[in-house]
Amino acid sequence: MRSRLFAVAVAALALGAVAATAAASGQRHQANKLTVWLQVDAQSGWPDVVAAASKEFEADHPGANVDVQYQNWGDHLQKFDATLAGGNTPDVIEMGNTEMTKYMAAGAFADLTSFRSSFANSRSWLKGLAASGRYGGKVYGVPYYAGSRVVTYRTDLFKKARINRLPRSVAQFTADARTLARANRATKGFSPVYTAGTDWYFAMSFVYDYGGTIARTRGGKWTGTLNSKQSLAGLTAFKRFFLAASRASKTSDENHPAPYDVYSQGGAGAIIGPAWFSCCVGNKYKADTAQFVMPSHVTGKSMPGFLGGSDLAVPVTASSKSLAADWIKDFTSTAAERSLQAKGNIPNATNLLGSSVNERAAVRSWFVPTAKHWVDVENSNVLRTMLAQILTGKASVRKAATSASRTITSVLNGS
Amino acid sequence: MAIAAGAVPRRRRRLTWRRALRGSVPYWLILPVAAALAAILGYPIYSLFRLSLQHYTLFELIRHEGQWVGLHNFGSVLHDAVFWHTVARTVVFTIANVGMTMVLGTLVALLLVRVSAWARILVTAGLVLVWAMPQVVAVQVWYWMTNYQNGVVNYVLTELRLGDFFHHDWYATTFSQLGLVTALIVWGALPFVAITVYAALSQVPAELVEAAEIDGARPSRVFRDITVPILRPVLLILTSLSILWDFGVFTQPYLLIGQAHIHPGNYLMGVYLFEEGYLHSDYGRGAAISLLMLLMVAAMSVVYVRRMVKIGDVE
Repeated sequence: MRSRLFAVAVAALALGAVAATAAASGQRHQANKLTVWLQVDAQSGWPDVVAAASKEFEADHPGANVDVQYQNWGDHLQKFDATLAGGNTPDVIEMGNTEMTKYMAAGAFADLTSFRSSFANSRSWLKGLAASGRYGGKVYGVPYYAGSRVVTYRTDLFKKARINRLPRSVAQFTADARTLARANRATKGFSPVYTAGTDWYFAMSFVYDYGGTIARTRGGKWTGTLNSKQSLAGLTAFKRFFLAASRASKTSDENHPAPYDVYSQGGAGAIIGPAWFSCCVGNKYKADTAQFVMPSHVTGKSMPGFLGGSDLAVPVTASSKSLAADWIKDFTSTAAERSLQAKGNIPNATNLLGSSVNERAAVRSWFVPTAKHWVDVENSNVLRTMLAQILTGKASVRKAATSASRTITSVLNGS
Repeated sequence: MAIAAGAVPRRRRRLTWRRALRGSVPYWLILPVAAALAAILGYPIYSLFRLSLQHYTLFELIRHEGQWVGLHNFGSVLHDAVFWHTVARTVVFTIANVGMTMVLGTLVALLLVRVSAWARILVTAGLVLVWAMPQVVAVQVWYWMTNYQNGVVNYVLTELRLGDFFHHDWYATTFSQLGLVTALIVWGALPFVAITVYAALSQVPAELVEAAEIDGARPSRVFRDITVPILRPVLLILTSLSILWDFGVFTQPYLLIGQAHIHPGNYLMGVYLFEEGYLHSDYGRGAAISLLMLLMVAAMSVVYVRRMVKIGDVE
């Protein structure tokens, strides 16, 4: 029984123990072995592109071999932190564009500026994505691919409800949602437009659509601006739209459940999220599914959408910077980017852009504040908490936004 | 150990070196344990303490070198309102969890004594199955059951006509979130308490109960004046252990409430430590929090250790 007590004590110490091993263990690297961390998206979506790049790389570097290890978005940073402490960092790592700044500021990545010209299409990299990989005028991240958010909808339900034209404004979309709700009264819990209550990517699109922002910087100091007049107008419009269109939980995020699961069970007339949602709408509705760009509150314009994306970076501890850069070069070649595009992603450069709904949605986009501590705002769920308060009516829009804004100011300026 | 030391034969008094060797045998015997504890407990605590005196973030992690800042981390934690709110919340949470675990566990044990053999086997098997279920799996099952969209709990409650639970959001308020975590933890801790108390109940002499009953004592009186005093050492130890476990609980709240719902308004100590230390990459501050937590747990375990020592004396 006494060992139980020690087990508790040891558990309490786990944090310290991991950090403590930092000093103890050294670096272990096999010569010519390149370890690459990619997200599982590549494993399920385009393993062929990964294999082709590694094959090309191994052909150029006889004796070298590439070990691709797939990671999850949920915990890859914690794992990466642990390798920074204990050694065995990967040689190439895929980073979400919102995750880059904190690591660049801490000096976790190697400067790739001198390799820039060797990457295909580097002159016309997507602006938003290239910006997320640049810090202090140096290049640390190579744009990999991007993805925008669109409306995925049931053409059959729209037709049945006699909605013959796609909405050209939020007001029109809201009216359509009401029409859809009436036409599908028989389906219990039916959401005309299913969107999770705390899906902040969608909610912030309203803020940016009304000219608001999450935070602004002046002279190196950040200020949360969700309580500005424009931001408040955006949040109020979001609340109005959500209450009219979605029966989703007001406190859940966009992964619990995944919107496409609700859709594939027949519970939604439309869902909002990444364009690749079309993958998973279910066989039953596959033929009756199409996508359009979320309209703005201004008729005829599109609403700015969150431009998600990934960069490829080389940790400072990588065994060979030039080998790592070479693999990135093969993995972001024009041919590779074309293959990613064929899978529904946005390629990393403007000269490769086509006219898919995904790419049209990327024309008006917004991005999170490029502050060193932004990722902490995400991790402590400041925006999600605010949205849940607003939607459940626990706090007024102004009160919730003011409190969130104050938190954002203090977190971004680093305490 | 004391017996072994006292048993050293007296007539070898003359050979002092040998006597000294014999006298030191108990210490040699505990040496492996002491060494193991120093290695797995002492060194980490030492490192943790060092870390808590440093400014150690991602920047320092990459360079493997922190900056000494003295007691700054402790000061910043102790001046953080979130810390005190979290401590208060965790204390209330622990009291609720331990209270329910002990009461329900004891009730199940009493039930086990009274039911027929086959029912006892059935209940025990059920308890062991609960005990055997890994925490992460249990969390996932509970999450599915309480799901907003198509959870079976909402369905059953609605079918039982207990109200309209369609689209009821069990994760909407902090109270409801922590209530679910409590239910999950109590459910998971019941088997250990129930089986242990059941074993202890077999120590209650039947003659004593019989005699009391002949004297006209009612069952409640028998329970209060005979069963409880005999069970007291076991109940005390179980309570102390449950307090230690529930105070530092992490897996259930972190996974069940889910990362998207975790915010300073519903932190428990374990979650607070993880968020501040790991997710904000402020390892020095995290170390300070874990040391403070260790102190609290140590203070609470004094009761447990004293009880263990007392029981040892009696034997």
